[in-house]
Amino acid sequence: MGLFDRVFRGSAEMYAKAEAELTAAISELGESAPMKMPDTAYFLSCIYAFLGKKVTTLGELRDALAEIQSKMTTNQRLKDVFTSGIGTAMAAEVIEATKYARTPTPYDGTDYHGHFSDAEVRELGVPLVTRDIPGFVVIIDPAPTDEEAVALIKGYQARGIFVFLIGGVIDQALRGGISMGFPVRVVPVGPDIWAVGHIISLVERAAMIFGAVTPGDWEAFTEYSFHRIFAFVNAFSPVSDITVACGGGAIAMGFPVITNDKDDMWAVPKSLIIQPDTTDFIETSLEARDIKIKVTNIDIPVAFSTAFEGEIIRKKDMRVDINGARQDCFELVRSRATQDVEDHKIILDGPDIDKFPEGGAMNLAVIVDVYGKNMQSDFEPVFERKFHSFLNCVEGIMHTGQRDIIRIRVSNAAFEAGFRAKHFGEVLYSKIKSEYEAVVDKCQVTIVTDAAKLKELRAEANIAYDKRDMRLQSMTDETVEVFYNCILCQSFSPSHVCIVTPERLGLCGAVSWLDAKATNELDPNGPCQVVTKKRPIDERTGAFEDVNEAVQKYSHGALEQVTLYSILEDPMTSCGCFECICGIEPASNGVSIVNREHTGITPLGMTFSEMASMTGGGVQTPGFMGHGKHFIASKKFLKAEGGIARIVWMPKALKDTVRDRLNKTAKELYGIDDFVDMIADEEVAEDAEALLEFLAEKGHPVLAMEPLF
Amino acid sequence: MPFKQVPQKFNAKINALTIGVGEKEITLGGENVFPFYTFDAPIENSPKIGVEISDLGAYTDVPGIAAYYAGSDTLPEIAKRASEMPGADFLAISLDGAHPDNGNRSVEDTAALVKSISDAVDIPLVIEGSRNIEKDAKLFEKIAEALQGKNVLFLSAREENYKSVSAAAAMAYGQKIGAESAVDINLAKQLNVLISQMGVKTESVAMNLGSAAAGYGFEYVATTFDRVKSAALAQNDNMLQMPIITPVSSEVWTVKESIVSEEDFPDWGPAEARGVSMEISTAAACLAAGSNAVILRHPESVATVSKLIADLM
Repeated sequence: MGLFDRVFRGSAEMYAKAEAELTAAISELGESAPMKMPDTAYFLSCIYAFLGKKVTTLGELRDALAEIQSKMTTNQRLKDVFTSGIGTAMAAEVIEATKYARTPTPYDGTDYHGHFSDAEVRELGVPLVTRDIPGFVVIIDPAPTDEEAVALIKGYQARGIFVFLIGGVIDQALRGGISMGFPVRVVPVGPDIWAVGHIISLVERAAMIFGAVTPGDWEAFTEYSFHRIFAFVNAFSPVSDITVACGGGAIAMGFPVITNDKDDMWAVPKSLIIQPDTTDFIETSLEARDIKIKVTNIDIPVAFSTAFEGEIIRKKDMRVDINGARQDCFELVRSRATQDVEDHKIILDGPDIDKFPEGGAMNLAVIVDVYGKNMQSDFEPVFERKFHSFLNCVEGIMHTGQRDIIRIRVSNAAFEAGFRAKHFGEVLYSKIKSEYEAVVDKCQVTIVTDAAKLKELRAEANIAYDKRDMRLQSMTDETVEVFYNCILCQSFSPSHVCIVTPERLGLCGAVSWLDAKATNELDPNGPCQVVTKKRPIDERTGAFEDVNEAVQKYSHGALEQVTLYSILEDPMTSCGCFECICGIEPASNGVSIVNREHTGITPLGMTFSEMASMTGGGVQTPGFMGHGKHFIASKKFLKAEGGIARIVWMPKALKDTVRDRLNKTAKELYGIDDFVDMIADEEVAEDAEALLEFLAEKGHPVLAMEPLF
Repeated sequence: MPFKQVPQKFNAKINALTIGVGEKEITLGGENVFPFYTFDAPIENSPKIGVEISDLGAYTDVPGIAAYYAGSDTLPEIAKRASEMPGADFLAISLDGAHPDNGNRSVEDTAALVKSISDAVDIPLVIEGSRNIEKDAKLFEKIAEALQGKNVLFLSAREENYKSVSAAAAMAYGQKIGAESAVDINLAKQLNVLISQMGVKTESVAMNLGSAAAGYGFEYVATTFDRVKSAALAQNDNMLQMPIITPVSSEVWTVKESIVSEEDFPDWGPAEARGVSMEISTAAACLAAGSNAVILRHPESVATVSKLIADLM
């Protein structure tokens, strides 16, 4: 017999029971006897929600039951399983309602809760809507042993999941001494499977109260519970047909069922999951319903606060020195498959801090493995770069550098307070789970201090770093599908919008295309939004209709159009936090670039601050442009005006920063060697005359280029 | 050349938000022109004025305010007196006494107190929080329950607690909420988006965009309001079309100009007159920049601003 038939048989069973109970109640109380559930304004809310019927007497309940039966169709189609399943839930409500037709308090004097009042729905609904309660579980029937039942309930409690119990598992909980009741978030609903009627009633009332769903709109109710109610079912073996039918209803409402019953059971991906090991029920369930548990506290023996970010640990105060320049040390984030990551597992491979000489060197690698349905390997470096601020916030820890050039110092005070290697793992686990909740489902940290293993691991890490760098280098504006905007600075520069592309990072230097992408995925309503590039206007200047529309929208109409690669035609605006300013130097037909740190004068006759006043504030000033340092070596830099060959002057310090990459670009674009040496700096020229002399002497390519104007 | 007037009315309009019930209910917003541009198109709902009292009483450290409330001793009496102030459209209650550092009155007691106020007045209520984010979420839930059917506005839902405030006040009990941000159009919009994603109808939301006393960085306030209104009307941005409500009194009665004594600054004249001037000028500036409602304390300010609104409409 197939799964469908089990559902149909179970729903027929539930219906037969409902009919028998209702007939008995009517013969006892009469058709016109009032039918009212206590403390609710929503009648029999499953029936009210799905059928739109307000039942107030037993006679009306009989009419409703007839309509419920008409929903229990038995064609071999998924749709019939769903309507029969929801019909089963409504029939369950009928059975329970007949008890309330006789007395408003049928469960008084028992361990069972029964019907939920509207006040309880609201009380539970608010934290469910805000996700303070991440979801709820309905546990049906006894677990194989009392211990397993208790462990499961306590496991859910520890994760803040609300627990409803039905049937024999309630006795197990009582024997296990679990305190139960609405306030402690473990509710024994009723002894029989039809007690699910109360839970579905609660779900449908939540949809009416919080979602303003119209009674009778069947699909809107299933839609609401699917998207907004994070519930799931754990049903223990042996699962009866009637429970399978209720499961069909649960799945129709978007609630996956997890069971350890293998007999006569068919797994349905994401909906009906067979998990033989009950100790894995929690993890399997949470993943199936896509529930993420918020991590808020960090389990370390010292304080964690941004106040400690700038803390310096001197040599004499230091317990150990972890230095990537001298030993094999590194940090790496890897995205892995789900089976390779166990959430919150922290492994220490090798001796702990106390085994290393006091005040001496220590080798250490931190490998963070993450799994997430929405995780992308492009996020790895974004997380990794945050290690610095995460670890620096720990009292008594100093962290600098990244990748395999990290340097970490642990202070004597932190060590004495009990700080050990595994605590690096605790900090990173908590921060990554809380800050990147949107994409990280599971996170595991491995700390390696075993010198023998580190050499090889470091080599492996370097392969990973190289791969990433290759990807970054191979990424061009042409090879990506979309750009991003960034309006992080609009609080003080209201009309400025950055368009961030792989070859043109944000002008502050802090937001690369990958950062913008990650920001967008992690915070979909945040400052970085997708900008399409489907409708190019002019490839030479980098003008796109889509980009112009985005700029108009995000500048709230202040800007009409920008180009990505030109300094003369609609140049991109600047907020004020640019790392560098590029300005036209008319005498040479070239441009001067000056970085923020340079205080001296430029051949334009202006200092950085004087140029900044013309460039910032979201205003387009053709001939001036703010940008990030990394943009200088881009092939898209001033592409419309002939590219980097226009650069005639830069401060020496800036030249040194960009030298290698700029030389490489010049070689690739023009076949010129050592291009940076042809660029003047403050030591050879601070005015136009000396500049021209220098350029002529070096044979700078700009002299052969077309005039800019 | 003769002047030819071209009416600048927009196809978009500010949402109309009703608070209170019965005869005295009021509607904020609904216009499709810039503030007071009645020459472009009629503005149906004139800007409204709220009178602010604290749950600890009236703000009687100012003599003129003390004089107005003389003889009203209990909070319901004070509320009733406030509701009768000429020019008052609604009553704003600041829950100062529920703040953990200021008495920490319990959620239940505060809800009962607010209920007693609600029973004493017939004008709409705006419930301002205790200025403690966590406490506010709990307070609003209980008060929303106690005042079911009264259609009150809760100020405010902030980035940190908008989920609880939206779920408890707006969704569970059908009340109105104000989305509070700190003088930044993008933060305001983001909060509105998040609140509407919770499932709260945009028609149930007002915006408290933040404010400043005149002379205390008010340029930021003015330009933010301006940009919000023009995005709402000219660009039909429906995530910025909520009416703006601005608590003015809490900003102006704390600045130096309003509180230093005449003895210390003889050139400045009487303190109370200065405070009233600050309140009036800030309120007038907010209204001109786009506020659909302002919250004030002093009877003289309320009278003056209400006359200003009447004359401009």
